[in-house]
Amino acid sequence: MVRNLTAIRGRFSLVLLFVVLLSGFSGVVKVQAETIKIPVASPFTGPLASFGEGVKNGALLKADEINAGGGINGKMVEIILGDELCDPKEAAAVATRFASDPEVAIVIGHLCSSATLAALPIYKEAGLPAITPASTNPQIGKSSPYYFRNVYKDDFQGDFLARYAKQVKNFKKVAIFYEVNDYAMGLKNAFIRKSKELGLQIICAESYMAETADFKAQLSKFKMMRPDAIFIPGYAPQATLLISQARSLGLKCAFFGADGLDDEIMLKNPDADGLFVTTPFLVDRGGAKVKDFVERYRHKFAIEPNWFAANTYDAVGIAAAAIAASGLDREKIRAYLAGISAKEKAYQGITGATYFDENGDCLKPAFVKVVKGGKWVSAQEQLQ
Amino acid sequence: MHLDDRLFSDKKLYLPLLAAVLVLPWLPMGTAGPYVIRIATLTLLYMVLAQGLNVVPGFTGLLDLGYVGFFGIGAYTAGLLTVHYQWSLWLVLPLAVLNGALWGVLRGAPTLRLSDDYFAIVTFGFSELIILVLKNELWLTRGPMGVPGIARPDLFGRVLDQPWQTYYLILFFLLLVLWVVVRIRSSRLGRAWFAIREDEIAAECVGVNVARYKIIAFALSAAIGALAGAFYARWFRFIHPDMFKFWESILILCLIVFGGMGSITGALIGALVLIPLTEILRIVLPAEFSSARYLIFGLLIVVMMRWRPAGLLPVERE
Amino acid sequence: MLNALLEQSSLFLQQLVNGVTLGSIYALIAVGYTMVYGVIQLINFAHGEIYMLGAFLSFSLVSGFFGIGLPFALAVTIAVLVCALAGVLLDVVAYRPLRKAPRLAALITAIGMSIFLQNLALLIWGAQIKSFPREAVPAFLFAPALQFGDVVISWLQIVILSVAVILMVFLQLIVHYTKIGRAMRAIAQDQTAAALMGVNVNRVVSFTFALGSGLGGVAGILVGLYYNAVYPTMGYFAGIKAFAAAVLGGIGSIPGAILGGGILGLAEVFGGGYISSSYSDGIAYAVMILVILVKPTGLFGRLSRDKA
Repeated sequence: MVRNLTAIRGRFSLVLLFVVLLSGFSGVVKVQAETIKIPVASPFTGPLASFGEGVKNGALLKADEINAGGGINGKMVEIILGDELCDPKEAAAVATRFASDPEVAIVIGHLCSSATLAALPIYKEAGLPAITPASTNPQIGKSSPYYFRNVYKDDFQGDFLARYAKQVKNFKKVAIFYEVNDYAMGLKNAFIRKSKELGLQIICAESYMAETADFKAQLSKFKMMRPDAIFIPGYAPQATLLISQARSLGLKCAFFGADGLDDEIMLKNPDADGLFVTTPFLVDRGGAKVKDFVERYRHKFAIEPNWFAANTYDAVGIAAAAIAASGLDREKIRAYLAGISAKEKAYQGITGATYFDENGDCLKPAFVKVVKGGKWVSAQEQLQ
Repeated sequence: MHLDDRLFSDKKLYLPLLAAVLVLPWLPMGTAGPYVIRIATLTLLYMVLAQGLNVVPGFTGLLDLGYVGFFGIGAYTAGLLTVHYQWSLWLVLPLAVLNGALWGVLRGAPTLRLSDDYFAIVTFGFSELIILVLKNELWLTRGPMGVPGIARPDLFGRVLDQPWQTYYLILFFLLLVLWVVVRIRSSRLGRAWFAIREDEIAAECVGVNVARYKIIAFALSAAIGALAGAFYARWFRFIHPDMFKFWESILILCLIVFGGMGSITGALIGALVLIPLTEILRIVLPAEFSSARYLIFGLLIVVMMRWRPAGLLPVERE
Repeated sequence: MLNALLEQSSLFLQQLVNGVTLGSIYALIAVGYTMVYGVIQLINFAHGEIYMLGAFLSFSLVSGFFGIGLPFALAVTIAVLVCALAGVLLDVVAYRPLRKAPRLAALITAIGMSIFLQNLALLIWGAQIKSFPREAVPAFLFAPALQFGDVVISWLQIVILSVAVILMVFLQLIVHYTKIGRAMRAIAQDQTAAALMGVNVNRVVSFTFALGSGLGGVAGILVGLYYNAVYPTMGYFAGIKAFAAAVLGGIGSIPGAILGGGILGLAEVFGGGYISSSYSDGIAYAVMILVILVKPTGLFGRLSRDKA
């Protein structure tokens, strides 16, 4: 009898569980929306959340502007955020979700190159066009006809940095400390290639992993080789630790990096004074359009826009133009984007003119900025 | 009679269950359809994993903290062979399973004399070393960049690109694995395992070849893990060292602790409840909490050990 | 030629300094594992999380994360005390009810607590790496103390080493020359007999947890300052390495844990600097597995039959 009772209770609780689970699912089922969905994939939480913040704000600002002007062909734009923590695994999951949603016709994202490369085959197979505002690895454009970007590539950025280091900074010996990921390694390779050409000596290249916090063993090694500068292809959260640890070991050389180090966190680190980085966007280099963007951005979010915000703002603009011209048809949108192939057809945004080559890549200028007294300052000497 | 014995013999029990699982992809679910099928596929995958893990701690009583290592070996074997040679699933899968079993034996052989926590620690260290190799041997695994663009599963030369097709595929693997473990459980082999679990020395005294039976358990468990890995690589189409972190071992352990260690049905129920729960939590919780949702699992383990150490479906001693 | 030799020897000395610093931190954490294992034969998987808690608490109190910023010394003291208390709570809430249960149950619970605490920290503080605000920490810590040519020893490294040495001496004094220390040793030898002789086992176990967790908390604070980084998963990696150090020294032995910590710290730094930086984490795992397989008693082990 007692056994029977527990059996019944057991069965009852199983049924209850099913009900709970199913009600959980029904929450997932969404009502057919009357808006145009533009998904934006980026790290919105996790270590690189501050990059994603710019992406999110840039997208929202553009969407507001479009909606205030009556939307796209009368329909309001809705930004859907896909948080992937800059983690390739999460990126693949987010990409699958977007690719299987029939209402999604174009994706903006992802931010980290490794995340973009993980998502790329999924979009490619679903025939879903995507614009990345921030991934700079050279492989991306070549690997899929559905991937476009409104940011420069690492071979350009690496070349640029090598020239800057040699010609402007007059460095003789540079050490490289790079993170193992698609972005940083692409950058490192491009930098080394150009340095050889220019006769800039690379004395050592060491790597670190995303979860590393102890850089002292390798930095001690660098120190004995007396480099003029250490190049850090990687992301800001670790670069700031790395620089502090280097200083505590008595390394006095210069540090520089690429757009992955362009983050507010650097400004809080007194050791980072003098660090210079490349960036695709400088506020004081733009015209009236840029000033207007910066003012509206400050007003809405009460912070300064970074380059992620500016590039995403333009990427959403391009996406909206594509949808306005070709509706929510993935194939037609791809064709529209591929058609922006020459300077005269370019999209005119706040980051300048954007048009794509046969791979979906684009040419954009790079600028240099420096940490000075807890602020980003445009470098006095820029390179063309 | 324990549910495990009835699982494959009692028609009244298994026919309705099988029918329910088979119709699931065809239920009207609107736009949520692909998503629900995805979670269902994930759940079945974890059921396979839970069955594989269950063989070692459940049947032989040794706590394996590095099970996910075999999942990873299977996934990378299948994933890399697919990317480099474009081989069919039905060619890479047996190779992945064999490779998994091989590593199961290699890892198991030196640990035969260890008991309890030392076995647990060695298995843990083993899976951490595997992750380290996956992360550092860039020439082979692309390290922390992962392996993207793995081909989908195929059958008779046709690509399985519909969600329901992969769902049926993993269902097939699950039934296969269940058939094997249910059969073994009531065989001579299974009885030898249970004897080892209850008292290793006593088992040895009555003539059970403990070393041999343990090795068989390690090989079988690892092979099932690798099978799941091979499917996972072809289904998810992207593999990364972080997918095979220690945490995954704990998640799978959690599934069998919840259902009751050593219980085949328990492992199924553990996965049925907990895997959809994680996915629902991912959506329901606000973004800043969703990455901390595993907190619940830690708590669940502690609570289960305190109040229901034998799980929801305890295995009766025979 | 002479120059290269000089370069190599200063690199060696610098790595030696780095290795000793790392080793003394591992030793501080490892004694926590070893003491708990000594009295209740439990691998306290959540010990690494206590260490992480020490780092986060001191960071939060110093930087005003909880609303008020406290002076450095006060914040550090509070953090260490809270860690000690958290260790006791951990035992009372999670492990004590399972004292009579199979050992696997307690081990699984310890893993559960580790996951729980790590995610709790993630929830409270987020995944972002936190750094101590420079102005809130005594400035001299970051300045170089001694400099010979290219070899730099910072004040922080000196502080870490001296704190570790002082605490270890203190610990040995407690274990060998106090009443409660004697009770700890008695329980480690035979719990039932000790209880029969009138030792209050629960009290002694709580004391052990408080002591071990306090030391873990100190280590967490020192590391947080040393790398200037505090993050939720820091306890996981440091915990494994310290555990490996405890195994190497012979789990259950306090001098063993100290020696094991030192060896592992040096092995990691020299392995990372001279052989391969990417596999330096693997040294800990490899040492751990090899010791267990080849000589489970470690360097100073005194395992009884049933624990092997």
